[in-house]
Amino acid sequence: MRITLAHFKEQTLQHLRAPGYLLPTLAMPGLFWFLFEQEDQEPVLVTFLMASYAMWAILGVAFFQFGVGIAEERGTPWERYLRALPLSAGQRLAGRALSAMGFAVASAGVVIVEAHLISPVSVAVDRWLPWLGALLAGGVVMALGGIAIGYRAGPRAAVAVATLAWLLLAYLGGLWETPGELPGWAAEVSRYLPTRLWGEATWAAVLGQTAPVRDWLGLLAYAAGFAAVATWGYRRDEGASYR
Amino acid sequence: MTDAARGPQAVAELRGVHKRYGQVDALHGVDLELRPGELVALLGPNGAGKTTAVSIVLGQRRPDAGSAWLFGRDPTIPAARRFVGATPQEIGFPDNLKVGEVIDLVRAHYPEPASTQEVLARFGLLEVAGRRTRGALRGPEAAAGGGPGLRRQPPGGDPGRAHHGLGRGRPARAVGPHPRVRGRRRHGAADHPLPGGGPGPGIPRGGDLGRPDRRPGQCRGHHRAGRAQQGAPAGCLPELPGVARAERTNDHHTLYTADADGLVRALALQGVAFSGLQVERASLEEAFLSLTGGER
Repeated sequence: MRITLAHFKEQTLQHLRAPGYLLPTLAMPGLFWFLFEQEDQEPVLVTFLMASYAMWAILGVAFFQFGVGIAEERGTPWERYLRALPLSAGQRLAGRALSAMGFAVASAGVVIVEAHLISPVSVAVDRWLPWLGALLAGGVVMALGGIAIGYRAGPRAAVAVATLAWLLLAYLGGLWETPGELPGWAAEVSRYLPTRLWGEATWAAVLGQTAPVRDWLGLLAYAAGFAAVATWGYRRDEGASYR
Repeated sequence: MTDAARGPQAVAELRGVHKRYGQVDALHGVDLELRPGELVALLGPNGAGKTTAVSIVLGQRRPDAGSAWLFGRDPTIPAARRFVGATPQEIGFPDNLKVGEVIDLVRAHYPEPASTQEVLARFGLLEVAGRRTRGALRGPEAAAGGGPGLRRQPPGGDPGRAHHGLGRGRPARAVGPHPRVRGRRRHGAADHPLPGGGPGPGIPRGGDLGRPDRRPGQCRGHHRAGRAQQGAPAGCLPELPGVARAERTNDHHTLYTADADGLVRALALQGVAFSGLQVERASLEEAFLSLTGGER
């Protein structure tokens, strides 16, 4: 536990000092809400969009902290040094996940608090637990996607891959506007994307609708796929660096 | 030697270890045994398998065949590495961490670690503890020796430095923060190629590391090895203690010794008239040659 906490602290300090990480995670979702959504006054719409922006914020943490973070660290002398310490891969990952959880709470929290301050959002008291739960569950799936990027993309490519995936999946998943406003081709693609599935599950939760099983199953499939790619990438990386 | 006598006592052990990288046979049936209190150096030319052997001892790689033990356990189990300090060939720190924070992180992995202050003081890092590793450890002032960065060579002759990668044989480029366990002997592994590369001295040759001749303290000998040159007229040199090898060109003597201080003292005490005395540090390669009787 002491070791996991030490790695949690290391991860958190490192990311707090990295503007390249704080900008897309902590700053942008809140800023975009301020720029683009404060005119909207329809309670159901802004509540829906608040959930979308919160997902977008968490997606950034997942792709940048896991994706870029892992890609940049693996293969470095520091990472090799850590491998000589009495440290397990699980403890290291747990430290990273705990830290990412903190950043996810902060970045989604900025959006949620801001939306409550400047927009007429309304979430029924009994919807809070289900929708925060949906945020967390989808966040875990996206974190697995981030780990997959981290072990599949090279250290230089990772920033580009993560940024592109973050923006495209947010737009095509219908996290910036409602999915109904997507142009024809995008609406077609959207239905199969993990962000859209996560969105459907979370929107239903925050607006008090019934949980769509199809979307949860789709998310589960994505989780399995991301985990498989991540494991494969991890093994390959281990083979390349430490065979 | 029976297994019972060997297993629990050895600090680290490789038995019949094979390791291939594609077509390259890195280790071919290597046996190695390190016992408590021993100071062992693995020397060999590039490609001899030194790095691979050490990384298997540290649990970073798994042998294709054969066995490895660290304190009687599988080195890939994290707990087996609890009493090992390792200084890798290349060192790099997370840019956004401060020096003290790196030490804090490493300390957290060990039971009863030395305090951060103690470690900072030991490596002359007190002044840069609050600075990010990038500026503190790689800055121009550290390279110039103006600031007490990790590159600075510490004064004095602590034999423990050898396994901290701070040996005097080469610039102290590689320094890992290893908080020492109080009251317990800490074992270390340092792994550096011989300077110059090329077809160097060859105990472990052809990918076969073999079993180095164990001599307690031989590493210490390397690092204290010195070379005294003096300009006394030829033939004036009396019998001097601790001279491993003597060379003479015209009226110039070059003496190789493990104890340069002692040799200079003896020169002075025996009243040898000398001028132009120079004490140089022997290179790792020279030390190696003197150990192996000059064989290449």
